[in-house]
Amino acid sequence: MRFILRRLGFYLIAFWASITLNFLLPRFMPGDPVSRMFARSQDRMQPEQIEALRKLLGVDDRPIWEQYAGYLQNILTGQMGVSISRFPTPVTEVISSQIGWTLLLGGTALVIAAVVGNLLGILAAWRRGGAVDSALPPVLVFIGSFPYFWLAMGALYLFGVVLGWFPIRHAFTDGAEPAFTTEFLGDVAAHLVLPALTIVLVSIGGWMLGMRNTMIATNSEDYITLAEAKGLRPARIMLRYAARNAMLPSVTSFGMGLGFVVGGALLTEVVFAYPGVGYQLLNAVQGLDYPLMQGLFLTITAAVLLANFLVDILYVRLDPRVRSN
Amino acid sequence: MTQTRFFTSARIAAAGLAVGAMLLTGCAATGNKPGGTDAAANASAFLTIPREDMGTFVQNFNPFAPTVNPMVQQSIYESLLVFNPAQGNTVPWLATDWKAADDGKSITFTLRDGVKWSDGQPLVADDVAYTFELQKKLKGGYEYLDGVSAEGNKVTFNFNKPWSPALYDVGQLSILPKHIWSALADPEKDANAKPVGTGPYTEVDNFQAQSFVLKKNPNYWQPDKQKIAGIKMLAFAGNDGANLAAANGDVDWAPQYIPNIEKTFVSKDKDHRHYWFPPTGAMINWQLNTAKAPFNDVDVRKALSMAVDRDQVTKIGMSGYAQPADCTGLSGNYETWKNTQVKDNCTWTNHDVQKANELLDKAGYAKGADGKRTLKDGKPFEFKISVGSSSSDWLSVANVISQNLAEVGVTAKVDSPDWAAVVSGYETGDFDSGIVWSANDPSPYKYFNTSMGSSTVKPVGTKTFDNYHRFGDPKADALLTEFATATDQSKQKDIANKLQEEYNDAAPLVPLFSGPEWGAYNDTRFIGWPTQDNPYATLSVRAPTTVLVLTSLEPRK
Repeated sequence: MRFILRRLGFYLIAFWASITLNFLLPRFMPGDPVSRMFARSQDRMQPEQIEALRKLLGVDDRPIWEQYAGYLQNILTGQMGVSISRFPTPVTEVISSQIGWTLLLGGTALVIAAVVGNLLGILAAWRRGGAVDSALPPVLVFIGSFPYFWLAMGALYLFGVVLGWFPIRHAFTDGAEPAFTTEFLGDVAAHLVLPALTIVLVSIGGWMLGMRNTMIATNSEDYITLAEAKGLRPARIMLRYAARNAMLPSVTSFGMGLGFVVGGALLTEVVFAYPGVGYQLLNAVQGLDYPLMQGLFLTITAAVLLANFLVDILYVRLDPRVRSN
Repeated sequence: MTQTRFFTSARIAAAGLAVGAMLLTGCAATGNKPGGTDAAANASAFLTIPREDMGTFVQNFNPFAPTVNPMVQQSIYESLLVFNPAQGNTVPWLATDWKAADDGKSITFTLRDGVKWSDGQPLVADDVAYTFELQKKLKGGYEYLDGVSAEGNKVTFNFNKPWSPALYDVGQLSILPKHIWSALADPEKDANAKPVGTGPYTEVDNFQAQSFVLKKNPNYWQPDKQKIAGIKMLAFAGNDGANLAAANGDVDWAPQYIPNIEKTFVSKDKDHRHYWFPPTGAMINWQLNTAKAPFNDVDVRKALSMAVDRDQVTKIGMSGYAQPADCTGLSGNYETWKNTQVKDNCTWTNHDVQKANELLDKAGYAKGADGKRTLKDGKPFEFKISVGSSSSDWLSVANVISQNLAEVGVTAKVDSPDWAAVVSGYETGDFDSGIVWSANDPSPYKYFNTSMGSSTVKPVGTKTFDNYHRFGDPKADALLTEFATATDQSKQKDIANKLQEEYNDAAPLVPLFSGPEWGAYNDTRFIGWPTQDNPYATLSVRAPTTVLVLTSLEPRK
């Protein structure tokens, strides 16, 4: 319990530091949202409209300390304000309308990559020098080192355009009404295949190699030899004795990955025209949309910290050594 | 050792596979035709248009929103008149006729009879007056406008000074229904989810995050011109997705920039796919900060301009799709305004390295032994060209200019941070030079006013939103005042001619090329598109002329 409380205190400080950075960083960027909007409109706006727009969008001219106080207060009360680039939609609405797709895409890809990658890693290490161990790592590392953009474009072109196996854009067929019917869910699944597959392809190699390496180290431990000497079934030794102990670093990476899923997959969204917060974040940064940027960064920070916290708690369960320290 | 060798062979094998796959895909590329070719399917098909810079849509059809949803100002709301830059003509739209007062201090529009809002209410003069009241209140601008009075079917705009550029300024604003908007407590924050407009396609249908449909306005004033069943917009996070949809034949209209369009788009179906890039965009200028030496010297500006090879600039930077500028400074948008006398005798906008060198020598910027020039204070003739990093086309333009300048002994470094940083430098005057857009109105008044009107010049350090290059010219000021008071178009033309002569003398900017208006279409399902031979509009989907296209297209039979 003391361990958890101590971690909790640490996370609170980390949270404060990150929301403060979150507040400061956008304000160090040159310009303000309205002049950016003006520059982007390339003279389709009248300069006289700038003041009115500033007032309409509520661009803050208060001293930075007052803004900071207001910002902290808003965060504590859960008010994130109104998005500037999507005015007058509230930030919470912009994020909540997109985050579902982001979680679906990122979550699916992460779970598949982690589960399959770890299983392959376990197998590769268990049968060192076998077929899985000698063929897969180089292939997966090779695929993983492709520029993601290129790989995604290639997959889209080959499987989407040429072979026509999968849809080439969006989260579901345009014109379809979202509903919990098998037809619609099937449509969503079909649209999810290519985006998720490409993410899995580039990330699975890391999972596999990571697991394989720790697993090899674990395999040479005395307790494995003892287990073998006791005559336990190989499958039991592999999963319950070796893999369970080798899993700890993977759990940490999984927790981190889970947190970062919330940030969206910008390149995937661009290539597959998949909805999500990644492109939204890019737009917010380019347009200096402070409220939306803050809202998104806050969500990401909170998710990463929360995921880490959960991993910490899980560690207590998985690794007795943490408890005794 | 074995490990390394294995890696190498695997890599080679996989690379071979990848290349093979690419070759296969290249050969097998097919053009999926949208819908089908039979008339019945086309008649009920929606005109499909991609929007390349919105990853998702929000159901907000408020025309006051800073980022307006697509088609709000094109197919839902309409304006009093439509100016078509492709032909230089003005099409009467919600107004049938207009007349400026002799003293230039007012314009009276006569509204078209029988125009109804999509909810069945008639369009009245009061709607127009109210729209301007609301526009001024919410978004500002229109400072010359004293008031708008409505009487019968006539609307009179009164100005506080003679102001002829007002015609297109007020004429092209989207008109809103008073009976809807006056009932809203917070009109600028209302999402206007079910818009009521006078346009041809107003009924929002099946709104999803990445697509929505606009169906026919049941009360449109030109029912015989609503030949297509509706418009479908698709959201894309970037050009690549939109270009793929166009290449794949999934959209009818492709208004975004498509690189190498002949090969990537047209070649898949030469009979049905066409593009047209008329030079009606804004003049793209290379601006020199005239608040700084040596750019305050007209000879330097002209010499640098002569050093630039505009053919090379447009060929390399703009894939040959742009039209090089001449010394009137006017883009293809102002073709009918151009002074042929000036245009036919251009000197400083023609590529001439020898003359550029002579002019710089004469102006006192001598070449040193190393072939590099020095400024009058002895420092090397060096400066930066600032361009936003995301504009790859303009970046190559800047690079070509930089290479061109090396030939006359001037060193220009291309500086490309984020656009926001570039523009904030432009605004405060903290820059040497940059590639910029310019005003693109029906009348050249604003272009000349923002390129050489003293009233738009702000001192360095004070923010300005036009005339970044900070050039003012008293001679031009007099002509601009005269232009603003001239109500007669032929008189305006005379003054515009003189303004071009002055521009030619003063070289306030270095004009590079007319920005092309990108546009491509696939006429498998719909016909009646504007073309070079029938330029009744451009192929833009964000221009006032878009409504002309929407009311001209018809399903292929």
